[in-house]
Amino acid sequence: MSNSLSGLLSATFHEAGYDHLVELVHQRDTHERRRLASLDVAVYAPDGTPLHGAALDPTSEALDLARLVAAIPGAPTRVFVTFDARYDERVFAYRPHHYGYLHRRAGASASLYYAVTAALGGVPDRIGNTKINNFESYLFMPLGGAELRSVLLGNVARFAPAQVEVITYYGRARNASTVTLAPKAHTEVSLPANHDGGRLERVEVKASFRVASYIVGRRADSEELVLFDHLFTYTR
Amino acid sequence: MRRLRSLARRLLGVRRTPTYYLPWLTRPGLTCTVMVNNIERRFHVDAQRGPFDASVVQRDADGHVVRRYTARLPTATDTAEITLEPTRAGAGFVIVESDRIASDLYVALSDDDAYTATHGRFEFVEHYPLVPRLALRTVGALLAFAHRTLPLFTRDQFVYVGPDNRSHVLVMNLADVTNRIRVVASRDGAPLGVRLVTLPPLGTHLFDITPLAGACSRTTCLRLRIEGNAWFNLYLVGAGPRDLFGPLSLMHVK
Repeated sequence: MSNSLSGLLSATFHEAGYDHLVELVHQRDTHERRRLASLDVAVYAPDGTPLHGAALDPTSEALDLARLVAAIPGAPTRVFVTFDARYDERVFAYRPHHYGYLHRRAGASASLYYAVTAALGGVPDRIGNTKINNFESYLFMPLGGAELRSVLLGNVARFAPAQVEVITYYGRARNASTVTLAPKAHTEVSLPANHDGGRLERVEVKASFRVASYIVGRRADSEELVLFDHLFTYTR
Repeated sequence: MRRLRSLARRLLGVRRTPTYYLPWLTRPGLTCTVMVNNIERRFHVDAQRGPFDASVVQRDADGHVVRRYTARLPTATDTAEITLEPTRAGAGFVIVESDRIASDLYVALSDDDAYTATHGRFEFVEHYPLVPRLALRTVGALLAFAHRTLPLFTRDQFVYVGPDNRSHVLVMNLADVTNRIRVVASRDGAPLGVRLVTLPPLGTHLFDITPLAGACSRTTCLRLRIEGNAWFNLYLVGAGPRDLFGPLSLMHVK
């Protein structure tokens, strides 16, 4: 192990009723040269209260997140989960990625595979990436009326509250709302499909620093997830 | 290995063309739409100088062109939705070309109630001169007798199998040569099987994981080692209880 390790904090959300597996290393090679030095997992309630924290075995392939959360007494239906990785940048030339797989038990929808959002670190100095990562966008196709959209937001900061502005566009109409998240707190912000005669076309998320964010789609009748994906930083 | 490949490419005259591509899938009751946009350029100095044009070429699983489309965005905040033509094979990829569009594009799979979406990738397509092309074809055909391929490119990928869900793999041949793809599956270090599929130039194959995985009482992670004799990439295809006949999702990998 190198004495100069890099760090990466990634975050996701878990909801009760879903099978949810998280790859410790996306595209781990057969000979397991691509391995983390360490990986800690932590689970938080919506208000940021810590519910669980543990070091994972970095040699294992995937974490059964559903099983881990189910073992937490009194865990709420949705929790915020952070992954604190340490890695050798000679092993991961850019950075490691965690990917997740989820499917609602006995659900009718397709299973979803997604990239766990990298929230802090993971951009080596040598890349010289100066793009801001605390302003993100996502575009929508017209919704069929049987679908709900929202953004899930989590504050990965240890001490600082985060103010997050969520801006939605309905044709020329622009709506903005601000949510404040305590450290490690999270919330789901609903995005109405229609407003003032226009349909939901775009959402933007702005924060004073990087927060964990996911775009979420649910079937209206069952609230089953049909979309769980990252937003896009705006600069090109 | 990377340096060796780079040197070999130069010696053989293999060209790489920068390419933005997205996968597509169609099934009865499932529509595939590409969402062309330029939203990530909206603060750029030339963002107000529309319109922004793009050409979209849809290739089928056999690599042939299904249809060509054009998209025009009056401004950088407009979007254009292109509904792709269903084919019998029902899978392939589209290549999007534009001088002035520089934004990640979305591809959506929708049924009557909802849609899932992912984005495309900006990579490259490999072009081989005649002699290396013939050599690869000959060597590949010989190795295929032993269920092998020339492992010039490899990928490791996890896939998942559960009692009512699974992920399949959409493999795209991003080269204008025949690409023999060898897939080795294992679970907890135990081998599950090997498959060899032959992709025509710029072809696509939806790799059904079910025959290799068998039945699983709980959602389980499998490991795939994927080797090809030319550049390829893949997307994961998420399926539910109706497998490939029900709602599906697409997701990029790194």
